[in-house]
Amino acid sequence: MNTTQTGNIKIRVTNLTFSYKGRRILDGINENFEEFAVTAIIGPSGVGKSTFLMTLNRLWENIPEAQMSGKVEIRFNGGLRDIYERSFSSSRLRKLVGTVFQKPNPLPMSIFRNVAFPLKLSGEKDKGLIAQKVEGALRKAYLWDEVKDRLAQSALALSGGQQQRLCIARSLILEPEVLLLDEPTSSLDEKAAEVIEDLILHLKERITILAVSHYLDQVKRIADRVVQVDLWQVRK
Amino acid sequence: MKGYVEKLVIGFSWFSMMTLLFAVASIIGYLCLKGYSSLDVRLIFGDTSALDALLLRKQVFNGLFPAMAGTLVLVVMSVVWAIPVGIATGIYLAEYANARIKGVFNLFFDVLAGIPSIVIGLFGFALAVFLHKHFSRTIQPCLLLSSVALAFLVLPYLIRTTQMALEGLPESTRFGALALGATKLQNIYYVLLPKSLSGIMSGVILAIGRCAEDTAVIMLTGVVASAGVPRSLLSSYEALPFYIYYISSQYTGPEELLTGYAASIILLIICIVLFSAAFLIKKRLTYIAFYRT
Amino acid sequence: MNSIKETIVERALLLSTIVSGAVTLIIFGFMFFMALPLLREGNIFQILTGEWSPGGGSYGILPMIVSTLAISCLSVAISFPVSIGCSGFIGVLGPRRLGRSLRRIVQVMTGIPTVIYGFVGIFLLVPIVRELGGGGSGMSVITAALMLSVLISPTMILFFNDSFERVPAPYLDATDGLGASAVQKLVYVIIPNAKKGIIIGLILAFGRAMGDTLVALMIAGNSAQVPGSIFDSTRTLTAHIALVIAADYESLEFKSIFACGMVLYLFASAIVIGIRYFAFRERGVE
Repeated sequence: MNTTQTGNIKIRVTNLTFSYKGRRILDGINENFEEFAVTAIIGPSGVGKSTFLMTLNRLWENIPEAQMSGKVEIRFNGGLRDIYERSFSSSRLRKLVGTVFQKPNPLPMSIFRNVAFPLKLSGEKDKGLIAQKVEGALRKAYLWDEVKDRLAQSALALSGGQQQRLCIARSLILEPEVLLLDEPTSSLDEKAAEVIEDLILHLKERITILAVSHYLDQVKRIADRVVQVDLWQVRK
Repeated sequence: MKGYVEKLVIGFSWFSMMTLLFAVASIIGYLCLKGYSSLDVRLIFGDTSALDALLLRKQVFNGLFPAMAGTLVLVVMSVVWAIPVGIATGIYLAEYANARIKGVFNLFFDVLAGIPSIVIGLFGFALAVFLHKHFSRTIQPCLLLSSVALAFLVLPYLIRTTQMALEGLPESTRFGALALGATKLQNIYYVLLPKSLSGIMSGVILAIGRCAEDTAVIMLTGVVASAGVPRSLLSSYEALPFYIYYISSQYTGPEELLTGYAASIILLIICIVLFSAAFLIKKRLTYIAFYRT
Repeated sequence: MNSIKETIVERALLLSTIVSGAVTLIIFGFMFFMALPLLREGNIFQILTGEWSPGGGSYGILPMIVSTLAISCLSVAISFPVSIGCSGFIGVLGPRRLGRSLRRIVQVMTGIPTVIYGFVGIFLLVPIVRELGGGGSGMSVITAALMLSVLISPTMILFFNDSFERVPAPYLDATDGLGASAVQKLVYVIIPNAKKGIIIGLILAFGRAMGDTLVALMIAGNSAQVPGSIFDSTRTLTAHIALVIAADYESLEFKSIFACGMVLYLFASAIVIGIRYFAFRERGVE
């Protein structure tokens, strides 16, 4: 169901159908997402909220017995591009579309190396540049002051909230244009969740954010727009 | 359930436990009782000095040194063949193969794992005969042939442990680096392999243990009772388990038999240490080693 | 650039897989082609059902097939009750710490080399059987079966135990909640739910017994005859291969061992297929 949009369309989903092990989870979805806005995706568990996010970063392609049809376009450099185009590699897409998962998933290495990891994947060798970008990303994720003196320590020693912000920093270091958040605060306590909510509101100035959430009050605080997956209709 | 039936069941389980312990204790106890008195340096190096033997300056004629050296070289070579192929195959099946290819190859490797080791030995022997007839008269059963045949024997263990370790990783681990733009290969190299290292290691140790204890494969592919320390890959060699087998039927006197007991103790210790290590590293190894879940 | 590297690595991994898979087929191929002359001259039926008397020109391997089956079945029959008892002990019946120690010991047992079972068998078990079995050398069907039953018990115990542990915890909680005793829990809930695992463990153990060479070679006596009683000396397929290998390469006697190899290969495949059948059904139930 398309609704009139005011801003620029960042993501356009056309006739998206998704099934897993022969069971249809998403059925013929048409939806647009605005640039520089936070869209909250809500609905009861098991209706395919996380699955929907996975169709935007193509992570579902790693799940055996999953199938998708339809079209997903995202605006990069001014024009809408089909992200399933053959010439568009999934790893390039995922550098532009960051993802933060429900449970913080730092890798078993130091804080610094965790944040720098995406740069390593891209083959960046310049140490000065890496250090500079790591600091920038940690600052953006409101984590720098808490960890600047122990960057060499294991990331696994951080608290849950810190780990989640570390994961956000890790996504931000590639300067993505879209950030997908899959219930980013559900494994955190109230205080840690507040910091992250605050962070989200701050980030949307530069990034288009889609967040799956369970908490209606949280949705009210952060979302510009709410999409309810089970009905797949839009409420302002 | 009646009270006496319950007692009977419990009694039976205690009886089973004691029967098994009795059997194991008899086997190990008997070996130790008979063999411990001859366990000393002379047993390994005979009349030659240990240093001379280790530096290969002098040959050892009446000690276990050549057999132990043969087993060591054999194990190292077999594992060197098997590890790269086994792990690569495990990675392919876990990460790249589609369901149909996986199904076919899983069946192949289950069969390969089930083939009795003597049949693999027979294959090695037939290969030598074949090559001897059609290519070169100089080809005969030898260390190289044995190591290749043993590599075939342990290949399924390595494939399975690698595959199971990778497939057992949770989705959250799998997706973490991918979501950051890692390519498939980068994800495998930086995240998945390091995370499944303990599973892979247990398979490697298991493979080493199997190579060290196997007798059936090597007795058809080149092991002999006396050959000295292995000097060439294309000649026959000695090995600890074959020495034990040989002594059991060909011993000439009680003293020679004693070396058989002592050799058994040494082999037993080597293998038990290896297998225990594999089990310590990876719990629930039985399922992985013997059958996929 | 990057994608070229990815492709090269993928190809290399695929190549390894094909090589490993080919090994399985090549082994069978070799058995088949080496046995082919014999299969042509004497017919297959005669080889599978005939007697072994190389002097009389008869290369039948029936005695070896029969004794392989007899020894394997007997060893599984001896080992099964003890193994299930031990698994019960480890799982629920025994004191916790004792059970865990037993499990450790059983794991260590998997590391005992088969040649050592044979070696101890010759000097410890054979004399005992000679006494009890009334004459003979003491090397017989029962001697080998007894030693093999010790050899295969760790496979069974660990496998049974793992399938006990896979019985869903809610079932066990429910049973505990209803005030069932440990024995009732084992007999009414755990064993019925682990039935498929128990069958798979049995088949696996049978395969281990069938595939073992050294124990039978060293303590079964090696007479190439169909055993009339459990105290008769006999020769398994695996031992037969080991014993005949020294013969002249061109002789029919030599070729016949490849028929043994083929039979063993087919037995092994049947076992794998049997296990897969049950494992598949197990998954279907869950």
